[in-house]
Amino acid sequence: MQYELSNKSKRFLEDLRVYLFSSGKKSEEIDEIVEELESHLVEAEQHGKPIEKIIGKSPKDYMETVADEMAIDFRTWFKYILIIIFGAFSFTIFRDVLAGNLSYSLLEIVGHLAITLIFTFLTFIAFKYISSNNFSNTVQLVILYLIGMIPLGLFIGMYFLNESIRTPVIQFGETGSMIVAAITLLFVLAISIWTKTGILIAIVTLLTLPEYLLSKTTLNLETQLILSSVISFGGIGIYLFISSQLNKDK
Amino acid sequence: MSTTQMLKGILDGCILAIIKNKEVYGYELTEKLESYGFHSFSEGTIYPLLMRMQKEELVTSTLKKSTAGPRRKYYSLTKKGEEELNKFKLQWDHLQTNVNRVLSNEVEEN
Repeated sequence: MQYELSNKSKRFLEDLRVYLFSSGKKSEEIDEIVEELESHLVEAEQHGKPIEKIIGKSPKDYMETVADEMAIDFRTWFKYILIIIFGAFSFTIFRDVLAGNLSYSLLEIVGHLAITLIFTFLTFIAFKYISSNNFSNTVQLVILYLIGMIPLGLFIGMYFLNESIRTPVIQFGETGSMIVAAITLLFVLAISIWTKTGILIAIVTLLTLPEYLLSKTTLNLETQLILSSVISFGGIGIYLFISSQLNKDK
Repeated sequence: MSTTQMLKGILDGCILAIIKNKEVYGYELTEKLESYGFHSFSEGTIYPLLMRMQKEELVTSTLKKSTAGPRRKYYSLTKKGEEELNKFKLQWDHLQTNVNRVLSNEVEEN
């Protein structure tokens, strides 16, 4: 019979996983050490040892010592950043192409890039910080919420800045817009093949297509907005649920 | 000086010696260490050490199914590991002799 670990041990293993992941370690190596420690904790608990006997007084110190022995996996890091950046960009580009021709000011282009980079960086830092400290769930949520608010704030700031400061505007004609859209599509497909996941395609499609298709209907604007966000986020939720179920079966 | 600090370098050698005797998995290894009288260390400290030894090719590991719970990772000594163990033995003998000499002298002077 499978022994059920105590919640404290389970929590530690999860925290370790997140800590190592946000430190940019290889996922196979993470799986290995987590499985090894899980097996150790199972046996230690069956012999009535507290978790402190295994990982010492400070889980954070222990996580650090483990992380120090593991090489950083820059390739995977790069992969995730690319997915996030391209996700954000392709979403904006596809939505704008469906609405008409593309035109962006220099400030918008640079601002988008900068905000995405800042957000990615902050997210990794936040995950590392949260997983190595014993915060309550509320504190964790507040930190993640604040991190989530930062790009939103920056985007609003950029929007107003863009209204008040004139930077050169790059106009893409019809052909130009089509070319940009085609290149973006190619990149999205290439990244999806390279990273072997359909998440980017699924999310971008779900975020842009319903809105576009609904705009072709005779429904009033309010209904369109509500319907498109319900379909988009409901769809993403269903997609994530199904793919996590499929992963479990593997 | 705390025992933990003193133990740091020595633990490596002891782990190699235990693995040389018999292929072991992590928990088994800590139990062996405890049975030899090492009680004060946190059991988890062996894993970063084992990771480093594996990187330095002193030990290799294989995963095996276990009857209860997750798979176990068994460690065995490589040729290079055996050489390292022999080196450790020599160094330990040397150190032990010297320390004993100093300590017994101190007793005499008192």
